[in-house]
Amino acid sequence: MIQFIKNIFQESSKNMRITLYVLIGLVVLFGIFAIQILFWGLGYTDMNNNFTWGAWIIGDLGLVALGGGAFTTGYFLYIFRVDKLRPLISSTVLIGFMCYLFTFVFLLFDLGQPLRCWFGFAYPNWGKGVYPASMLTEVFFCLSIYFCILVVELIPVVLEHKVLIKNKVVAAIAHYMHLLMWTMAAGGTFLSFFHQGSLGGGMWGVLYARPVWFAPHFFFMAIVAAMAGGTSFMTMMPYIAGKIMKKEVVPMESYQLLTKISGMIFIGYFVFRVYDVYTGIAKFAPMAQRNYFDMWGGYYGVWMLVLEFALIISALFFLNQKKYREQEKFMVIGACSGIFAIVTSKLSVLLHGFSVPNFPWKSFTAYMPTIQEWLITLGCFACMILIYMVFAKWFPLFPHLEHHEAHDESHH
Amino acid sequence: MIVKDSAMKRKWGMAIDLDKCTGCGACSIACNQENNMPIFEDDSDVPKRVAFLELMKVTNDRDAKFPDVKTAFLPKMCQQCEGNAVGKHKADPPCVSVCPAVATDVGDDGVVSQIWSRCIGCRYCQTACPYEARVFNWWKPEYEGSFKNSLSTDVSVASRGTIVKCTFCSHIWKRERDKATANGILDINAVLYTPACASACPTGAIIFGDLNDPESEVSKLAKSDRAVRLVNTVDDETPEKQKALMSKKQYANPKVYYLTSQKWLRDMMRFKKNS
Repeated sequence: MIQFIKNIFQESSKNMRITLYVLIGLVVLFGIFAIQILFWGLGYTDMNNNFTWGAWIIGDLGLVALGGGAFTTGYFLYIFRVDKLRPLISSTVLIGFMCYLFTFVFLLFDLGQPLRCWFGFAYPNWGKGVYPASMLTEVFFCLSIYFCILVVELIPVVLEHKVLIKNKVVAAIAHYMHLLMWTMAAGGTFLSFFHQGSLGGGMWGVLYARPVWFAPHFFFMAIVAAMAGGTSFMTMMPYIAGKIMKKEVVPMESYQLLTKISGMIFIGYFVFRVYDVYTGIAKFAPMAQRNYFDMWGGYYGVWMLVLEFALIISALFFLNQKKYREQEKFMVIGACSGIFAIVTSKLSVLLHGFSVPNFPWKSFTAYMPTIQEWLITLGCFACMILIYMVFAKWFPLFPHLEHHEAHDESHH
Repeated sequence: MIVKDSAMKRKWGMAIDLDKCTGCGACSIACNQENNMPIFEDDSDVPKRVAFLELMKVTNDRDAKFPDVKTAFLPKMCQQCEGNAVGKHKADPPCVSVCPAVATDVGDDGVVSQIWSRCIGCRYCQTACPYEARVFNWWKPEYEGSFKNSLSTDVSVASRGTIVKCTFCSHIWKRERDKATANGILDINAVLYTPACASACPTGAIIFGDLNDPESEVSKLAKSDRAVRLVNTVDDETPEKQKALMSKKQYANPKVYYLTSQKWLRDMMRFKKNS
């Protein structure tokens, strides 16, 4: 085993070795600070009674929104039968799986009583109707069920490992799971509409006494945001992996198709976001006798809104015009703008939202994560990158690549 | 013995006369004592401090010089909001419906409760509260030395990582009811009580009572021209406009009424630009 690990390091290039050391170092630090937070509590964070949530909820919002690319891509592939997306699907499912897995990890850290996390299932705040009373109850249930679906979707990728697939039973299971995967894709899409809406937007939109967040349409806008940003994210991750591996892991036309889809959804998101800002100015802020732009102040001022719109427009510009999208450079700029637009919107929901004073005699507040918060967040991201690397190296994450290699070998 | 009419008739409310308040802080101390507030190692870290009652200093303008500077003190505790369900049996405050584990609820006396042993510490209710009235135990609550002997036995001590909040000292009411029951009075509506902050106030600025009883002092004060509710902007509108707004959106509609004749203070409590 030790020899095996030694070999990995010896085989890798110098840059890769440094990257591995940094990532493993971050994961180790994550472990150390995780113990501190779980055993001695949230006092070691910069959150407080006014700024009740921080880095980990930003992580949750970002991961779930970007992981939303998994259900969108799955839906297009399995329900609309857009077969050009097939080379992307394994990577997409893996990223979705990890995004949701680490959403749970972040949520667990954010609980003051992590040992009571099962209370969310045992004593759900369901109210009288079919629909739960609390948005977080919905998040608890929907996220868990969808996570199970992602696990099922990921199983064939593991089963198709070149050693395992030689077993006839395993091969048969993997084959039939592929055939039935559309049911999972349909179920996943159905569930995703709920938790994307609730965790991304509904959770904030229902806070009727907080004029900075209150917006009944926030639920629906978050779904569109996740579909738009998620598809860009699902393009960029295998693209970056391919650049590092110096191989064509996914054909260019698949990337371009997914970025085209992303660009089209970004048009919808842009319209929705303009409507959101307009109703904020004209309707919801005045309903609470507040001025919309008075609420944008302090460190997280109106620049966040401007930055977000600049990024959305950049994504719209580069992803929706064929002449730009077909140039690799502009496609990458467009997809990155899309990803950062969604990340900025999540940052502003949280940072700007909490910084706004509740009383006119209080001033705007700021939030500076402590070393514990930084390292737990970065450690989780490092863990995600490591898992992705393991899959890229040893599992059939990129069928296109395997297909080509087999093809090349038969030629020689 | 069977009590025929045992339905709850009370709806507890509070009126705080800001013109009488001297900012002495006795209410805050009484509250801390009554509700077993812990003392942390560094209690100068105000944003992480655990206290149900915050005595806020309000100034019209930080840079103003005498005689233009005006100051007031505003004791702020949980405002026991009703939401749009004003006067209904089941109130709908912003913090209750959001709890994922039903750790918080509204009693039929209108008091928003919090079960500390049920709370998972997600702090969603704290996010929903516009009054910053809910506090979180960021550190383990500790009671050192003889401090332990002075703890109130009617209030359970919370553990680290849970939300705690003001309950209008509901346990005092229960204590009074138990006393009455021992004397053979079983009617739940027969007993009145006074929370710790109201009984500690030296100037009598805090008045507590039953808002459903039109003869009670608190309901008379709540209807007076001097009454103003904190940040509840819908109060300023005409009745027709109020109805229209409340059909579109919920408002907090708290049961704590502040009394003041000072216009600048009333404006500030409504987020209006200073006059």
